[in-house]
Amino acid sequence: MKIIEVKELTKKYKEHTAVDGISFEVEEGEMFAFLGENGAGKSTTINMLTTILQKTAGTAFICGHELGREDDEIRKANGIVFQNSVLDKKLTVKENLLTRGSYYGLSRKEVMKRLEPFSESFEMKDIWDRKYEKLSGGQRRRVDIMRALINNPKILFLDEPTTGLDPKSRKLVWDYINYLRREYGMTIFLTTHYMEETRDADHVVILDKGRIVTNGTPAELKTRYAHSRLVWYTAKSENAEALITRISRNFVYDADHYSIETDDNLTEFIFENREEIRDYELIKGTMDDVFLNLTGKELA
Amino acid sequence: MKDFIGFTRRNMLIYFKDFLAVLFSLLTSIIFFLLYILFLKGTFVDALTGSMKGLENIVSANDIDMFANGILLSGILGSAIITVPYTCLQTIVKDKEAGVDSDICATPMKRWKIVLSYFTASSICAFIMTSLILTAGLAVLSFMGDPHISAGSVFAAYGTVLLGCVSSTALFMVLMLMFKSSSTSTAFFGILSAAAGFIIGAYIPLSQFSDGVQSFCNLFPACHITSMFRNVLLSGLAEKIDSTIGGLDNGAFISAMKETFSFNAKSFGYSFGNSASVVYICIIALICVAAMTVVYNKTYKRR
Repeated sequence: MKIIEVKELTKKYKEHTAVDGISFEVEEGEMFAFLGENGAGKSTTINMLTTILQKTAGTAFICGHELGREDDEIRKANGIVFQNSVLDKKLTVKENLLTRGSYYGLSRKEVMKRLEPFSESFEMKDIWDRKYEKLSGGQRRRVDIMRALINNPKILFLDEPTTGLDPKSRKLVWDYINYLRREYGMTIFLTTHYMEETRDADHVVILDKGRIVTNGTPAELKTRYAHSRLVWYTAKSENAEALITRISRNFVYDADHYSIETDDNLTEFIFENREEIRDYELIKGTMDDVFLNLTGKELA
Repeated sequence: MKDFIGFTRRNMLIYFKDFLAVLFSLLTSIIFFLLYILFLKGTFVDALTGSMKGLENIVSANDIDMFANGILLSGILGSAIITVPYTCLQTIVKDKEAGVDSDICATPMKRWKIVLSYFTASSICAFIMTSLILTAGLAVLSFMGDPHISAGSVFAAYGTVLLGCVSSTALFMVLMLMFKSSSTSTAFFGILSAAAGFIIGAYIPLSQFSDGVQSFCNLFPACHITSMFRNVLLSGLAEKIDSTIGGLDNGAFISAMKETFSFNAKSFGYSFGNSASVVYICIIALICVAAMTVVYNKTYKRR
């Protein structure tokens, strides 16, 4: 079942077009990733889909509710983790969450009941009565995710959730997100500029200057837009280069190895020349390569 | 209703949990209090005794002291009514800057409730703070002697606090919805807190200024509120002094004092009584609320 359907969604600010007629669909329970550099239109799209911004044109249905007409229903179905923390620094975690729950018409009891299943997995006990400003970056993110879960959302929007976090905290955040997918089958709509974060996505859309450049599963995109690479550790020689040119003219020699880029079946080539090619690495194309090849830009 | 109550409570907590915000919101009142202790009291007492002309032996020095203290309390309350709501309302700008408004706008809470919550929270915070000052001030005055304030006057004083807090909040709400950054609102607060004491005639009685300046200052509801405070807090004492004089001056001394310390706000030749001031303040507050409904639409309209 499609939980998000977007057609020709556009956002214009006077002369500037932030999102330019994008269309895509998200299946219920999948992780959908929006990839693009800063200013590509990722956050603007999320802000439109979460009713924070008004669309200029196009249509969008979220959980079957039409954007612009049934916004209250959409707001009840969405949970958002913003790029920057938006909770109150002077309030405790508990005060923050209870207050946010009230915006959805929830009583104190109801908020506690909603958060109970997550509080253990999210290790909330120790930080419950601490001021938000006293928490570490990772702890803050954990609370931000808890806040987004208060209204029991069907879709969790994550706007660059790990930006600015250290690797350990980033891993923790991803553990929580994966837990939500695994245990609750929650639909995750993610924007990021970290390539590796799209690895587990079911569907990736690459945005550039407000337009969708391409979309597909990470595997499809890598097959379509990234080249596999063979790293062959051997001495530089004419014989070796003659062998390489049989599959690719795109190669360089670096210190102790040849780096060869090709679309051909490398496994077969290696097998056929197993006597010569003894020490090697076979590297599949990455999402970085996909992005670089499509936009000519490198991401973080 | 839970959303409105919850957001109002949050806005109040934001103010009360920030010690510096609370302190700075009372800065003008504190400065006025310190100036009073340092030299303003002497100036006020000199002005009062200088106007007695032969009544020095009739009017007790204690009553004159109490009168000056009452003027001080009115000034402190008048300036708090300006600065406390303003500080509370700065949450609006801070929320805009930090993206908290997006978090709120992404919930099913209605936009008008968001604005009404800020308004209510600020009015309540200002009422609590100003009422505390009033209560403490009345306690100190009672400790120093008999301030001749009746129960009705005390009740009227709290009512004036409420009217002042609501009207000031309405006025500043319009401004705050238009500010885009907290640096702008803080810069404006600097000007406001410096000017507040002069505008309400706390540092120097407004009667010392030209008619034009008086008319301008009395355009602000807080100026009317301060005049109302002088009336409710000092009328009893004024009557007592007048009765002590026993009609020897046909009430000239008290009339002169009321004139000097602006017991009635004057604008463009019109002297406002308490009732007229209440009507004026209500009209200004209603205009501000109407303006607020226009401005909030622009502020919280999904851009």
